[in-house]
Amino acid sequence: MTTLRLRGGRVIDPTNGVDGELRDLFVRDGRIVTLAPGEAATEEIDLAGCIVMAGGIDMHTHIGGGKVNLARLLLPEFQRAGPNPIALPENPLELASCGGCTPGTLATGYRYVEMGYTAAFEPAMMACNARHTHMEMGDTPILDHGAYVMLGNDELFLEMLSHGVDFQRIRDYVGWTINASKAMGVKVVNPGGISAFKFNQRKLDVDEDHVHWRVTPRQVVHTLAKALRELGVPHPLHIHGSNLGVAGNIESTLETIAALEGLPAHLTHVQFHAYGTEGPKKFSSAALRLAEAVNANANVSIDVGQIMFGQTVTASGDTMRQHAQSKLASPRKWIGADIECEAGCGVVPFRYRDQNFVNALQWAIGLEIFLLVDDPWRVVLTTDHPNGGPFTSYPHLIRLLMDSSFRAEQLAKLHPDVAANAALKEIKRELSLYEIAIMTRAAPARLLGLKDRGHLGAGAAADIAVYREDADREAMFATPAYVFKDGTLVARAGRIEAVPVGGTHFVSPEYDRGIETMLRKHHAAQGSVNFDNIAIGHDELCSCCNGGRLLPAACFEAAS
Amino acid sequence: MAHRLRTELRMSALETSPGRDAAPWTCPFCPLLCDSFRVEPVAGAWALTGTDCARARDGLARFEPAAAPAVSPQIDGIACEPEAAIAAAARMLAASRQPLFGGLGTDAAGARALYPLACRTGAICDPAGGAALMQGVRALQDRGAFTTTLAEVRARADLIVCIGSLPTEHYPEFLRRCGIGESRAAEVVVLLPAAAPLVGPAAGIDVVRFDGDLFDAAAMLAACVAGRAVGATAGPLEALAARLHAASYAVLAYETAQLPAQGALIIEAINRAVATLNQRTRAAALPLGGADGTSTVNAVFTWLSGLPLRTRATPLGLEHEPLRFGAERLLADRAVDALLWIASFGTEPAPPTVNLPRIVLGHPSFAAAVQGSGTVFIPVATPGVGSAGHLFRTDGSVLMPLRALRDDGLPTVADVLQRLTRALHGAEA
Repeated sequence: MTTLRLRGGRVIDPTNGVDGELRDLFVRDGRIVTLAPGEAATEEIDLAGCIVMAGGIDMHTHIGGGKVNLARLLLPEFQRAGPNPIALPENPLELASCGGCTPGTLATGYRYVEMGYTAAFEPAMMACNARHTHMEMGDTPILDHGAYVMLGNDELFLEMLSHGVDFQRIRDYVGWTINASKAMGVKVVNPGGISAFKFNQRKLDVDEDHVHWRVTPRQVVHTLAKALRELGVPHPLHIHGSNLGVAGNIESTLETIAALEGLPAHLTHVQFHAYGTEGPKKFSSAALRLAEAVNANANVSIDVGQIMFGQTVTASGDTMRQHAQSKLASPRKWIGADIECEAGCGVVPFRYRDQNFVNALQWAIGLEIFLLVDDPWRVVLTTDHPNGGPFTSYPHLIRLLMDSSFRAEQLAKLHPDVAANAALKEIKRELSLYEIAIMTRAAPARLLGLKDRGHLGAGAAADIAVYREDADREAMFATPAYVFKDGTLVARAGRIEAVPVGGTHFVSPEYDRGIETMLRKHHAAQGSVNFDNIAIGHDELCSCCNGGRLLPAACFEAAS
Repeated sequence: MAHRLRTELRMSALETSPGRDAAPWTCPFCPLLCDSFRVEPVAGAWALTGTDCARARDGLARFEPAAAPAVSPQIDGIACEPEAAIAAAARMLAASRQPLFGGLGTDAAGARALYPLACRTGAICDPAGGAALMQGVRALQDRGAFTTTLAEVRARADLIVCIGSLPTEHYPEFLRRCGIGESRAAEVVVLLPAAAPLVGPAAGIDVVRFDGDLFDAAAMLAACVAGRAVGATAGPLEALAARLHAASYAVLAYETAQLPAQGALIIEAINRAVATLNQRTRAAALPLGGADGTSTVNAVFTWLSGLPLRTRATPLGLEHEPLRFGAERLLADRAVDALLWIASFGTEPAPPTVNLPRIVLGHPSFAAAVQGSGTVFIPVATPGVGSAGHLFRTDGSVLMPLRALRDDGLPTVADVLQRLTRALHGAEA
């Protein structure tokens, strides 16, 4: 049996309170182990001058499923390198796959792993599209993965809420849906708004009635958050709030937090939800108000959804908002869809410009949020790939957060009103490696309920990223010296060394199966798929996920 | 509220659901992928109940319920062991400088297995029906689209306008899947050229005729919807545009395979009308197409590589050529030097007769069509009959599970392709 010793690295492991100690790590059978007295390692890698962290975990990245594949179909012109096709990989372990803002699943896996990430979570899986989503994630090599299934715009949920159906029944329906789609959590997108758009409603505030079902986003959010709490799903409700991208939407965001009434929830890509209406352009940063709310509400965690300048594509379930923003599409084309009485999608290509006032301010708002929230355990580093920018920009983002003079240089290049007036200018905080490690691995693991990921304690999965110490944090985080996945060396200095199939994280909350009688009737009367064909079993999940391991996460049980 | 970690992970109730054993059959023979019919063996044939769908019946007639097909792999029409056929196929691909992978009649698993082989060989991949597929892809690449799905149409549509043809001829269950015949069903209109006969059930369906071709009609309809004057001949289209505006949820359906050459222009006009309607009311397009695995293979290749079909991995990189990489043209021009043809459903066109080395992975009935020299034939299981599998429905959002009706002992396309890829490693080593 081989035991690998990673010798002499500087270990940063916030879950276990380790901040930069020089220590050895031992890896055996894919796990981090402690050696018994007298035991010796059989292999050794010298990590002098290196920083050692757990593998990165991206808990909100659009890596697979219907809208992601539509984005690829929409934008073949970005799958080029100037006038030429994107070159084939020289590494025989890699298959050809385009990159950029709409990478193929193969490239997604390679590029994440080369960057030190070992897990990624698709945040917007439609139940009707779950098999497809799991297949794409299964075809994303090396990375472990999971997905949050979308609820709160399905006509059945809204109808139950509207008709005052007993909460326990709604909770059971949520539990059934998570099980059927093999999800890791539940996301709500523009609560009620995607459905409302199908009824030709163009705007939905937190306390505004859905034009048909006469329920409000506040009710939708609270009900789903409570259902997940009672089901014991470790990741609380994942919320893409109302009025994404709208000036003044900070009010919706604060009302959404209030709607929780203390229930735990995760507010995603909050940068897009932290806008005020001050100033001559009636568009201003509300990062401070948002940060104050997050600081004051320990039940809330966030990820930022930082924007990065350049070409990308926004792929969202929020049909209502994407339709409204489609006039800003660049290039001028977009895809939208109403889907199966449960969801929607909108794919709008977009170019963030540093000389555009709104875009420049969006950039500043994202950074302000990172730097104004006190508790890094409740802030996760994301660009909402690809919506704010591709995940490959993470090293640059880390440098912006860790290096205030670099940040100031970048700010000075932006639209002059933003460069001169952004609150960001006055924020001198520089995040430490310890805080970055929290925001990129320890916190996401904790927020997802992954006990053996995101840290380097004995018993943890040996998902490890080793970075060569470099004052240029962008260079350092772009190309780790070594990346291990379950103890296997999968990347060395930016080159893929092995391509194991990643595992699938999911939860299986218990629920009362009596709900199936109603669901069977509902699908027969209004659906398009036989009820018995909806749920994905374990064997089928295995085949969808390319034979990767199934990684069920434990649920919590409410106790009085 | 206090919480404690539940240490024991129990199998979810779904895993033990009795319904799983009696999983419904999904018909793989058209992209509506209906799963509400029963099929059972009766007197040596498959009997369908719950539908009179000719397409399902015709597809099933290619299979006998009882016996496994007595067709073995063949090289040059002579029966051989599977290993010999795989080895011969690997030699053909190893010797080829530019192979073409055509037909592509397979499911998601087959497509996932095909991509590594396509990368290794630099093959151009174009399905049977590639021209129709590319009309939709090119329209999408050009302007995008706003589409809907079957459950939405059934629940929500109050007006369905079928552009250019009534889909019931090729999609016999179309109206039923759209909820026609149920309470609060949509009105159905078909927009047809003046001279075209209406094929299919006409009862309750409004026919709007137009002079000229479908390009003109679609463009004029889009213009009428946008409120632009289009001349005296547009009366019926203006009336139709008014109905579209008055509808609360209008659906514009079209069959990609029935569109003429350059049909992307018609799709673009339809999408334009939908976009205009969506400024004030609600509307969406519903494309019908992608049968025999075409749209499924396209989706899988798109997610793996980032580019749709009609792409190849050349020494320069991944090249996507929606016009240049059409299979028929490449074969006619002798621009390729080997053909791998996949046709596992039995409903695809027969493998082209070409004077090239051919590898055919097909339904056993294709054995007779590939007797010539320089041909390897490997019979394969049909997803949804001889094996389980997955296919995308016409609306693209739902990946339907397919259930095997019987075990016919044949390998799946994915099995054969994985073995072929391994053998190719050996042949090139």
